[in-house]
Order: sequence, then structure tokens, then C-alpha cells
Amino acid sequence: MNYTQQYILPYVRKYKAAMGWTVFFGFLALLSAALLTFTSGYLISRTSERPETILLVYIPIVMVRTFGISRSVFRYVERLLGHNAVLKILADMRVKLYRALESQALFIRERFKTGDLLGTLADDIEHLQDVYIRTIFPTLIGLMMLVFAIGSLLTVDPLFAFFMLVAMSVVAFVYPLISLYLFKKHQTRAKTLHGQLYDTLTDALFGISDWIISGRKKQFVDGFLTDAASSVDAERKLDEWNQTRTMQLQIFTGVLVIIVGFWAGNAAADGLIAPTYIAAFTLAIMPIMEAIIPISHAVERIPVYEQSLQRIEKIEETMNEPIPAQIDIAAIKQPVISFENVTFRYPGSEGPAVEQIDLTIRHGEKVAILGKSGAGKSTLLQLLLGQFIPTEGHVRIDQYEAHQFGDDIFEVASVLNQKPYLFATSVLNNIRLGRADATEEEIEHVVEHVGLRAYLATLENGLHTQMEESGQRFSGGERQRIALSRILLKNDPIVVLDEPTVGLDPETERDLVHTMLENLQQQTVIYITHHLTAIEQMDTIIFMDEGKIDMIGSHEQLYETNARYRRLYELDRAL
Amino acid sequence: MDKHLLQYEGSKKIMAIVGLLTVAQAVAIITQAIYLAKAITQMFHGEPFSVYMESFVLFFVAHLFRQLLQWAKERISYRFAIRVSEYERGRLIEKTFEIGPDIIGTHGSGNLITLALEGIPKYRKYVELFIPRFLSMALIPMILVVFILTQDVLSGVTLIIVMPILIVFLILIGLVSQKKVDEQMDSYRLLSRHFVDSLRGLVTLKFLGRSRSHERAIETVSNKYRIATNRALKYAFMSSFALDFFSSLSVALIAVELGMKLINGTILLEPALLVLILAPDYFLPVRELGNDFHATTDGKDAGEEIRKVLAMKAPEKSTEPMRIEEEGTFAFRGVSKYGDEGQLLLNDLHFTVGHQDKIGIVGLSGSGKSTLIRLLAGFTTFEEGQVQINNQSFSTLNNAEWHERLAYIPQHPTIFSTSVLNNLRFYEPDAPFEQVVQAAKTVGLYELIQSFPNQFEEKIGQGGRALSGGEEQRIALARTLLRQSDIMLFDEPTAHLDIETEHDIKEIIVPLLENHLVFFATHRMHWMKNMDRILVLDHGELVQFGTYEQLSQTEGKFREMLLASQKGGAA
Repeated sequence: MNYTQQYILPYVRKYKAAMGWTVFFGFLALLSAALLTFTSGYLISRTSERPETILLVYIPIVMVRTFGISRSVFRYVERLLGHNAVLKILADMRVKLYRALESQALFIRERFKTGDLLGTLADDIEHLQDVYIRTIFPTLIGLMMLVFAIGSLLTVDPLFAFFMLVAMSVVAFVYPLISLYLFKKHQTRAKTLHGQLYDTLTDALFGISDWIISGRKKQFVDGFLTDAASSVDAERKLDEWNQTRTMQLQIFTGVLVIIVGFWAGNAAADGLIAPTYIAAFTLAIMPIMEAIIPISHAVERIPVYEQSLQRIEKIEETMNEPIPAQIDIAAIKQPVISFENVTFRYPGSEGPAVEQIDLTIRHGEKVAILGKSGAGKSTLLQLLLGQFIPTEGHVRIDQYEAHQFGDDIFEVASVLNQKPYLFATSVLNNIRLGRADATEEEIEHVVEHVGLRAYLATLENGLHTQMEESGQRFSGGERQRIALSRILLKNDPIVVLDEPTVGLDPETERDLVHTMLENLQQQTVIYITHHLTAIEQMDTIIFMDEGKIDMIGSHEQLYETNARYRRLYELDRAL
Repeated sequence: MDKHLLQYEGSKKIMAIVGLLTVAQAVAIITQAIYLAKAITQMFHGEPFSVYMESFVLFFVAHLFRQLLQWAKERISYRFAIRVSEYERGRLIEKTFEIGPDIIGTHGSGNLITLALEGIPKYRKYVELFIPRFLSMALIPMILVVFILTQDVLSGVTLIIVMPILIVFLILIGLVSQKKVDEQMDSYRLLSRHFVDSLRGLVTLKFLGRSRSHERAIETVSNKYRIATNRALKYAFMSSFALDFFSSLSVALIAVELGMKLINGTILLEPALLVLILAPDYFLPVRELGNDFHATTDGKDAGEEIRKVLAMKAPEKSTEPMRIEEEGTFAFRGVSKYGDEGQLLLNDLHFTVGHQDKIGIVGLSGSGKSTLIRLLAGFTTFEEGQVQINNQSFSTLNNAEWHERLAYIPQHPTIFSTSVLNNLRFYEPDAPFEQVVQAAKTVGLYELIQSFPNQFEEKIGQGGRALSGGEEQRIALARTLLRQSDIMLFDEPTAHLDIETEHDIKEIIVPLLENHLVFFATHRMHWMKNMDRILVLDHGELVQFGTYEQLSQTEGKFREMLLASQKGGAA
């Protein structure tokens, strides 16, 4: 329930007018339906007494016609208002979620080890519109209808009104609570089973070659279908409960029709109401119940939202406070990077991730960093970018500690990683992300430098070509070149190349590295790499192992003095 | 009527049963209305309790039947829907294995997963709703209106006239709104993608120093999206507006018309009430159909999607015994393979190798290396030529016996979401534990596994402990060690690894190659020194075939690639 306080109520409060109108029109729509039945029942009973002139039933006739039309109009207005209000809320939630993710962008992958978390979160926000459209609005509208029905009855017969309140509460409260309980119980199981199916099948399709080779295909298919059957079985319990509940509630409505009928008959006999109202009251109970019955379905859905809300909450819990910028970035022109006896230990882990690193990188130096996975390359990079504060020692850029830069660090250091994202917009806009005020000439200039000009010229729209869905149109090498253009445009004094060539074939890799180094002659380049491509052009080569610097030196030094380096070099080059 | 639904076993019987129940239900609806109208009329005329009591009891009995019949219809259709959809799920999974990894790749494994897990329930929903809704629509209004005509001709005629008008309006509105929605689909899609695009690109935005300011863009675009959606919804909601409008307006018209007749004394109260009570039930089936419109169209689309996959052509399969004998040979005789768009992927390949030769395959990207390996693995077939094994000809390698003689190591081997032990035993689930330990030791994984909290029971893969690329390759190698294989296929197993890990993995792989027929496709030229002979591919053609010594000393593609590699991008 605390999710309600955190994620539902604030928005309800913020958009209470819009929501209020939605519920009000929804209520009017259902009220029109009930009143259409009520007035037509009255009209027919009254006309059967054959009044002298039609004028005596003129008002009921007008009312019948009005309610016949108004229901559809109110319902239409309700739906438009409701969706508009909800889309406003979703816009707010998107901004809020974005803010939470933005503050921890560089840690999302490590903190939340799930497949496509970001896609899931975007979907979660979309799903939350159901909280309002399918749960809150129908529930409130149903309750208003209940209050109205009982209220009107109070003016006629308070005792019977009280009786009906109790009877209808069964439908408005007891059934929804039972439904919620049963749904929660079965839904958890259904969901777990469905999730397992998903994992099994994903695994199997990605590993289908292995299944085929293994000759165990039949075993998998049989196992999977058995699992699927039990998952369906869990869902079946829920669906069948839904069918049974509908039947029970409809039968209950029949009982209420009889009760109201009896009451109306007696009330007419006692002179409490005119006999012309018997049909009106008896028939009106059905549309009223039609408004109240959906509450069960609305309420039982609550557990569905919880999972989405849980995920969003988890993100917002780990939100980092932004660090205010304290440093005059403009003064940093030719920065010197220094690691002074730096050790870093992840909170809660035993050994240090990097240990006693001493390193000075002068401006314009080209440094390659190699090492197996887990050797400490990424930690070193995070320390340099000020995302981690050293447990011991100092990481400095000029005289400032790296972590004091906050997000301004990216005004000093650009990063080109393995999979730079290209947004679903034009190539031009993607490149312009490097510097918002870059002119088209400047952009054409960098495009020329990264060697994309000829390729773009072959495209009909040139720089204005859309990236298409996830940028299928451009190859890995071309995508890196687009990303490189951004960085050239940004023109920071430090450039970090974080394994930019993984997944590229050697020819593309060689060409790309060549282009990068050619264009980054003035900058400090920190090149994290897995191959020894163009290694001769680096001033310093560092091999990391278990958090420490294992080998350091220029290519010539290492090749001459270090047998291991020589062996790796010869392997890489097929010498 | 969806004719596909009739093709299932027992579906005609189900339709007949549900149809009969629907007719019975229509009778119950009429009976219920008759006695409710009677009870009210009796009370109106001040008749004694016992008289109207009887009417109410009969009303309730009819009402009870009506609801029970409804329940039974739903239950029967639901059970049938489960049976049908699970049957389709089984066929889908079978088919997936039949078409194999290549076609799965082009179709997108994500699509197939979504179809088998989300599409099937949608299809089930469709079958579940379609049968009772369709029959209700076809039977109930007709029966009711015939009965109403016997009570009051004018009301009956009104109802008969309104129905086609309503349906024409629904179709017109559907067409107009679809057109309006389609018109702005492009901008709509772009807007709706913007948020997820922003989240996925967050790290990049951060690196570019643009992430903070992008928040404003999220807000602006969200609002644009809202406005665009509202515009579309205005039309989308029109159909349910029309449904509501016509159905309640007709009830109102009938009520007023009956009122007039009552004043004139041309009808009595009881039949008038009866018609009034029945009128909403006349429209109920249409309104239900309208409410479930999206669920049914979604499900119908899913059904079509399923049929499309089931109709896919699976690669040719052979069941002949297939193995390379001692001192036998393996040869390609003019093998050609075409791509989806008819382009040549492999062109007229001829080569012969010995039963335990180690064959390197090199070539630039797109030269056909991977295609050749996948063809050798029998995941894909070829259109022309023959494969000869010990002088026996085959037109496909998609053969269960061949598969079981293979070890296949791709660039990214699959790590299944289960324990280390199950992963290692994947090909041989009954391998004794000591052998597994031995295999783990051979590939240098034993110490790592010992360091896991649950050791061999530690869960790896999706949702489990993450492994590095090198560790994944070791798992794949250990897997193949545990089973008897004659043929080893490698598709670029080390290019993505760091040079030190590549070095270590190579030390493990090289001894394993002995006594196997090996095909090793890679860009990493250093492997070629360990091969007996090398196939050099260029644009799908075999341009060179020889030993390392021969090829490295002759002018040609191989020497070109070797020199480029040795230069290594040095300026």
C-alpha cells in the first residue's frame, strides 16, 4: 500500500480536477443508463393509466429521450478526459523516472543485472495507466453510483435503504476483497510459472544449435510443454474464478430485482410510492448493479501494478544526489592526470579492485590499457571519471580531485565506449549531440575527418538520413565513426576510448583505430583495448592484472625486455 | 466466421453445443422477461402477494437458467480454447526446432518467443471469446426480435432497422478512425519510442554531458505524445460512442412509442413492459462484441502469425546414416548456397579433405566463412552440389547422426540459465561427476568453480552469476569434451577476447583438435599456423586452398590478409 502513497496519491492530488471531472462524467453516464430505465418504466406505467392528454407525460417523454442520448455522450467525454489526465500523469512519471536513472546512468548495468531493464521500465510506465483507467476510475464511479442509489432510496424509505446498502455492499466490497485475495494467491504462481517459461524458451532459442547437436530435442519439447501446461493451469484457475464470479453476481442481481420488486409492490400498497413507480424501481436495479459489479474486476488487478511499481521504486531508491560543480572547467586546457598511490575497494567486497596505482599521464599522451576481464580496467576508468572516490590515494586532473567535477567531468573528458547509442533521429542530430551549436559546415567537416563523407554521399538524404530502428542501416564500424564525430565536435582535452572495437572484424578495427588516432593527435588518449592494434603508436602500454599494473612501458621497451609481451604481440600479429 | 476455427478436432461439436446452449439461453431471456413484466403488472394492478410471488419465482428460475447457460457456454469455450491454443503452442515449438537456428535468426528469436508466450494466450482469448460471442450475435438478437414482433410490431421493426444502421456506422467509423490513426502513425511511433530511446541512450547522453538537459526534452515530447494520442483517441472512441448511442437511443424510442400506444390503448401494460425489458438484451451481444473488439482482433492477428510460422519451409533433412570412417574423406562437390533474396552466398565450392584434417577458413567479412560453418553443421542447407562422405553423396548435412558427431563452438556460446554442472553436462546429461571435474580441470575452470559459493551447483547464465567471455568459451569447450565427437567446428571463437585470454584459450584448444576433423573459421590469422590446410574465401568463392607454407609464400588473398594482420594498423 505504500506504493499508493508514493506513486498514486501524489498524482491524484496534482490532477484532482481532471480526475474529478472524469469520475463525474463516468458517473453521469451510468446514471443516465439507470435513469433511462427508471423513466421508461415510469412512462410506460403512467401511460397505461391512459392520461387525458399527452402533456401529462410530456416531461417523462423528454427525460427518456434525453437519457437515451446523454449516456453515450457522457461516456465519450469521460473516456477522453480520463485518458488526457492519465497521459499527463505518465508524462510526469517519465520525467521522474528519467531523473532517477540519469543520476546513476553509469551504474545501471552493475546495479540491476537484468536483461532489458530500460525497455521494461518504459513499458512499466505505460502499464501504469491501467491503475487509473481500469482500477481507480471504475471503482470510484461504481461507489458513487452506490451512494447515489442508496441516497435516493433514503428519501423514500430509510429502513429499506439501509437494507439495500448492506446487500449491495456485498457486491461493492466483499466480492472485490475476495477477488483480490484469490487473484493475489493464484497470480503470483501464474506469473512465476510464466516467467520460468519465458526464461526456458529464451535460453532454448538462443542455444538452439546446442539443442539440435545434443540430440535432446524431444526432451526439451516435452519438458517445455509440460511446464506450459502447468502455467496454463494456474491461469485457468483465475479465469474460471472470473467466470464463476460473474455468474454469481448476476444471480445475486436477480435476487435483488425480486427484493426491490417486493418492496416496491408493498410500498405502493402502503401508499409510500405511486404504483406507477413499481416498474421504475424494479427495473432500475439492473443498470445500477451493472455499475457496481465491475468493482471486483477493478480491484483484483491491484497486484498486477505492484510489480511495475516495485521496479520503479528500486530505481528511485538508489538515486544518487548530483554533485554540484565546484571547478572552473574553462581553466582546464592541457590537463595532467595523476593517480597517486590509488587503491579502491568496492563496498562490501574483500579484496581491492585496484591497488596502489601510481601513474602520471601528461597532456597529449597516448596510453593503452590492457588486461583480462576483472583486472581492474573499468574501475580505473570510473576512478578517472570521478564516479568512484579512491579508498586510498588521489586521482587528480590538474590540481583537482576527479570526483569533485561531478557531471562536469564530461566537459573535460569524452568517452567512446563499445556500444555508443545512436538515437532514432537523423545522423546530423546524432552528431550534433556533441555540441548543440555546431553549424552544418562544422559537422560536414568532422564527417570528412572520420571518413564517413563518401558513404553518406551515397545515401539519398545524406546527413539527414534517419538512423532507423536501432540503426540497422549502419554497420558497426560506421556507427563508431558517427560516435567519433560527436567526440571530435565536443573537442575535450581528454578522450577515453573504452574498447571501441570489440565485435568489429580486424580490417574494420585497424581502419577505425587508425582514424581515431589520426584525429586525436592533440588530445590525451586513454585507450582501453583487447587487441594490440596500432599499439606501436601508443606512448605507454599498461597491462593490468588483479588490480595492479603488471607491465608498463612503450612498445619498443616491452618488446625488447618482456618475453610475455613479445609472445602476445606475435600472437596478435600472427608473426 | 473464421474458418480456421472449424478445422480443429471437435470444433464443430463444440460450436453445435454452444449454439444449442445459446438458443436455450435466448428462450430463458424471453421467459425471464415475460415473468418480470407479469410480476410488475400484477403488483401494479394491486393483485395479492401469492399471485405475483409465483411470477417472481418463475422469473428467478428463468434468470438462474440464463446465467447458468452463460456460464456453461463460457466454460466450454474456454476449455476448448485452452486445448486449441496449447496444441498450437506444441506445433510452434516443434516447428521452431525444425526450421533450425538459421531461419530463427532471420525471423528474430525475440519474435518467436513473444509468439509462443504472448501470442498463444492472445489466440486463446480470441477462441474463447469468438465462439460464444459469434453465436450469441448470430442467434440471440434474431430470436428476441421475432418474439418482440409477436408482441409489438412497431418495436420489432424499430429494432430490426436500427441494427444494420448501427453496423454500417460502426464500419464507417472504424474506417475513418483507422485512416486518421494511420495518418499520424509515423509521428506517433516516433514519439512513443522517444522515451525508451532516451533511456537506452542514457549512458551516451551522460558521456556527452547532455543527460541533465535532456530531461526537458522528455517532458516536451511526452506532452506532444499526449496531444497526438488524444487526437487519435477522439476517433478511436467514436465506435463505442456509436454503439452506446444507437442502443440506448432505440430503447428510448421504443419506450416513447410504447407510451403513445398505451395512451391510445392499442397495447396493454404487460406486453409493453415485456418489450421494454427485452430491448436492451437485443443489443447486448453487439455491445459485448464491441467491448472485446481489441482482444479479438489481437488474437486473430496472433493466429495468423502462428499459421505463418507453421507454414515456413524447414531446411531439407536427411535420415541416412552419416559418419566419416577411418581413412575416409569428406568433400564438397560444387556446393552453392543462395541467400533469401537469391544472392549467391557460396559459389560452387570444390574441396576434399581427410577424415582428421584441420582446416582453417579465412576471408574478409561477408566472404561466407560463417555460412560455410553453419552449412557444415547442418543448420542450413545448400541448393546445388553434393557433399561426399567416403564417396557417398549427400544433399544436406541436416542429419541427426551428423549432429551428434559434432562439436560446435561459436563466438558466443550459449550459457544456459542453470547450474554450472548442468551446463557442462548439456550434451551428456548422464556423464559421471568425476568426468565433469576432469573436463573442468582440462579447460582451467576447476578453481573458478571451486571458488563459487555453491561450486558446481552455482547458477550461471541469465539471472545467475555472470561469466567473462573467456570463461564462457571454457564452458563450451568442457561441454564438448564430455562427449564423443569426430568433427569440431569453430566459428570465430576468440576474436572478442582480450589478447591474454585468447592466448590462454588457444593453449587449451590446440591439443583438443588432435584426432578430429576440424573446420576453424576466423579472422585471427595466428590460428592458421595450427591448421593442416586453409580454405580462403572471397565473396563466396573458394579462391585459395593449401597449406600455410604454400599460401603465405604465394601472392594472393591469403598473403594479403596475413601482411595486413602483421602490420596491425601501425602508421
